[in-house]
Amino acid sequence: MRTRFTRSAAALTLGALLAVAAGCGSSTKSGSSGSAGSGAAISLAVNPWTGSAVNANVAKIVLESKLGTKTTLVDIDEKATWPGLDSGTLDAVLEVWPSGHASDFQTYITDKKSVVEIGKLGPQAKIGWYIPTALLKDHPTLATWEGFKDPATAKLFATAESGDLGQFLMGDPSYVSYDEQIIKNLNLPLKFVVAGSEAAEITAIQQAIKDNKPLLLQFWQPHWLQSKVDLTEVKLPDVTDACIASAASSPTDGKYACDYPVDVLYKAASAKLEAKNAKAFAFLSKLQLTTDQQNTIASYVDSDKMTPAAAAQKWVDANAAVVAGWLK
Amino acid sequence: MTITTPVEPAKTFRAGDQIAVSVTKSWLRFALPASALAALAVIGAIIGHQVPSWLDAHVKPWFDSVYRWSQLNNGTNWAFRVVFHPIADAITWGNDKVLWALRTLRWPGVLALIALIGVRTGGRRAAITGVVVFSGCGVLGFWDDTLITVSLMLVAVLIALVIGIPLGIWAGLSTRADRVMRSILDTAQVMPAFCYLLPLVVAFGIGIPPAVVATVIYAVPPAVRLTSLGIRSVAGTSTEVGTSFGCTGPQLLVKVRLPLARRAILLGINQVIMMAFGVVVISALVGTGGLGQDVSDGLAKVDVGMAFAPGLAIVFAAITIDRITTGERSRKRARTTSPSALQAVLDNPRSSAVAAIGAIVAIAVVAKLLKLNDFPTSWNVDVATPVNKAAKWVNDNFRNGVPLVGGTGSFSDFFVIHLLTPMRDLFQAAAWWLIVVTFAAIGWASGGWRLGTVCGACFVGIAALRVWDLAMDTLSQVFVAVFISVALAVPIGIWAGRSDRLERILRPMLDAAQVMPAFVYLVPVIFLFNVGRVPGVIASVIYAIPPGIRLTSLGLRQVPSAPREAALSFGATSRQELMKVQLPLAMRAIMLALNQTIIMVLSMVVIAALIGGGGLGLETVYGLRKGEIGRGMAGGLAIVLLAIVLDRITQAWGSRRSAELR
Repeated sequence: MRTRFTRSAAALTLGALLAVAAGCGSSTKSGSSGSAGSGAAISLAVNPWTGSAVNANVAKIVLESKLGTKTTLVDIDEKATWPGLDSGTLDAVLEVWPSGHASDFQTYITDKKSVVEIGKLGPQAKIGWYIPTALLKDHPTLATWEGFKDPATAKLFATAESGDLGQFLMGDPSYVSYDEQIIKNLNLPLKFVVAGSEAAEITAIQQAIKDNKPLLLQFWQPHWLQSKVDLTEVKLPDVTDACIASAASSPTDGKYACDYPVDVLYKAASAKLEAKNAKAFAFLSKLQLTTDQQNTIASYVDSDKMTPAAAAQKWVDANAAVVAGWLK
Repeated sequence: MTITTPVEPAKTFRAGDQIAVSVTKSWLRFALPASALAALAVIGAIIGHQVPSWLDAHVKPWFDSVYRWSQLNNGTNWAFRVVFHPIADAITWGNDKVLWALRTLRWPGVLALIALIGVRTGGRRAAITGVVVFSGCGVLGFWDDTLITVSLMLVAVLIALVIGIPLGIWAGLSTRADRVMRSILDTAQVMPAFCYLLPLVVAFGIGIPPAVVATVIYAVPPAVRLTSLGIRSVAGTSTEVGTSFGCTGPQLLVKVRLPLARRAILLGINQVIMMAFGVVVISALVGTGGLGQDVSDGLAKVDVGMAFAPGLAIVFAAITIDRITTGERSRKRARTTSPSALQAVLDNPRSSAVAAIGAIVAIAVVAKLLKLNDFPTSWNVDVATPVNKAAKWVNDNFRNGVPLVGGTGSFSDFFVIHLLTPMRDLFQAAAWWLIVVTFAAIGWASGGWRLGTVCGACFVGIAALRVWDLAMDTLSQVFVAVFISVALAVPIGIWAGRSDRLERILRPMLDAAQVMPAFVYLVPVIFLFNVGRVPGVIASVIYAIPPGIRLTSLGLRQVPSAPREAALSFGATSRQELMKVQLPLAMRAIMLALNQTIIMVLSMVVIAALIGGGGLGLETVYGLRKGEIGRGMAGGLAIVLLAIVLDRITQAWGSRRSAELR
């Protein structure tokens, strides 16, 4: 028995060695990639949504074709992105939603200074309360939060999970949520239920639209689903500085009772990037997209089923002037 | 594929010992615990209905401050520079080399390598199965992503074995080490990876290293358990023979114990591989790429087919590695047939090794010359579209308007309103000390003093983690999920234990259900059961049933034939034989099935929270998704404590059953 073990072990080792030998020829050619005079290779984070993927792909095309900088894209969770920037394993992330990363901003940008903000991306995002637009036909009062004060109307949104109250569905736990405070402080007969993931929330939306059933949830713009289903944002009390200041970290005792502030998406880079590749740093700092531009590229992916790379290429080819502006 | 769960040997016979206590002492046996419980109840009543605010282990702030300290100091502190960073570099280096070797072999070479290993370990049949199944990964269009995942797995499995087997030997030789290790292993296995993934990223950086470490944490327990079990089950006579021939301690280990424990250790290796494949998707969150990332992409788009295809590739890769690492029986069978010329070459060690390596190298070189770099896309088969069609059909037809039952949607509502909510409300409304005392009492009744104390202490611990209400919510869901799983798994297992044909049909399905990442079926489950606790329960049931069925069937099959034949010769009907002979004799295995079902359900608590399960699972999700490490750790530790209580109680039942039968 033991000899068989050693035999197979020896066989495997030998096989691996020979494979290494056989591969030597191929490894030499990969060493010479990247044109002369180009900066050090960099890696960009791709977070799991279309916008993030297309921004990173646009940047990759420009970095590789105009600046000769070899660029790797790394698919990674939003939260795990920050330790990557901190160590310099990741060089930049091009779409950060400030509402979800206040603590990361504090830790890495303000305190440790290992990550730097490199300007706004351009598009503005907003979290809010949404309902299917079709609901407004029979219940026009639901266009504003006051429509939800009536327990009978709120009960339209009741599910098995919420019992007698209307259900308010929160999706991805990574997003900032003042919903419990808003519900409590505006005295709304609603129950806060967490779906637990974006996938679960999207499925709930799709099913509600399909069945023509009421659904009230926290959702946001821009999102690929917004172009596929018809949702309306419920008007909450106007956002004020006093209101934002009244939010408490504990969801139950804050005094927050207004709408969500606008999320101005920003870009962040490792503090080491400027020294490592100044040209790439300058370009990434300058890169900006308008909301329309980003939506256009995203629609190539979400509606036309292109890959993010192909979508980015198509847009870059058609918008040479915009790209040239980033490189000035 | 065998059961992916560690099979605990019969170690504790405490309950059995209790039965032997003489009758004269029975009043003492009853009165003492009763008065102790009463005292606890009195103390509890004084403390109050709610968990008192002073009962706080300050776990959340502690973890939060440690995490923040590591965030700020991971670049400068010596612990990171001297310990974590070199480990990370070594892991990255190893993974790069393995992946590079696999890619250099090109697909024909990789398939040839699989064939070689298959032939060596399991004969021709295993080789053919391995090659065909692994080609499936390429046919699905995920060849390179499969290689990325497989190389990560191989590195993680190797590390897990290097750590696990020596620890297992130690645990096999020393009862004290075994006892200490057991709690640590339980924690490693039940603690959700979501709790510690971010801290691992802070310590090891992003990408392969934290993913490998997380996989190792999860995969080491079966290696230790099965090695220890193997060493312990070596018969005393064998070691005595060794000793009498003058073996020294190390000689005894190397020449007697290890060879005799080889089977269990091999099973351990197999289990390590299966466990490792269980965390593929989660490890993609830290930037490993590969098949896990493909599943995540599908999930992010809520595209069932897009998530299913890479999920299937994960199943294929796992089955391949399983089949070519465990194939002993078919090899022996192959040997009994008349040896062909090829077989003769294969059976000669030297010629076969040289021939095989030569063949692989030749194939790799030919593949390189023919530029067979990528798996041919013309062979690709699209499974996403038919899967999406099927999902849509199910969604359109089963959710509503099914005659009589109403459909899965209304079933789900009924379930929530009439079962889950009342049960949760009951647990949450009960005074916390009452729950502590109840579980202490159940523990005492099942396994005596020590177990009662452990159970009570665990529940006090949950209170001190400040997650009491969430834990009660989770506990109610766990009860329901376990009940459904057992109600389904035991009858199916009994049937499979009596029908070879059913067993054969079930085996690949159980394999797939166990390795298929739960992330793949989350969306279909919400399609049918709406977001909430029911889809969470259903997903847990899907995951928990396979070991339940396997262990029940195994238990029935292990019943010796003598008592069955005796029963039949006394004129027992087949039904009587089952009820009076087979089932009682298989009871220990069935209890083990219950135990494993509970552990499986608890390991799904976090996944269930991703589709509305809430409770402790959601608390853990916050740990990763919001970076609130303290919150995540408190939730994760509470899950571990629940698991320890339920595991120890059901194990005590199992050992009492077998003790009663003696």
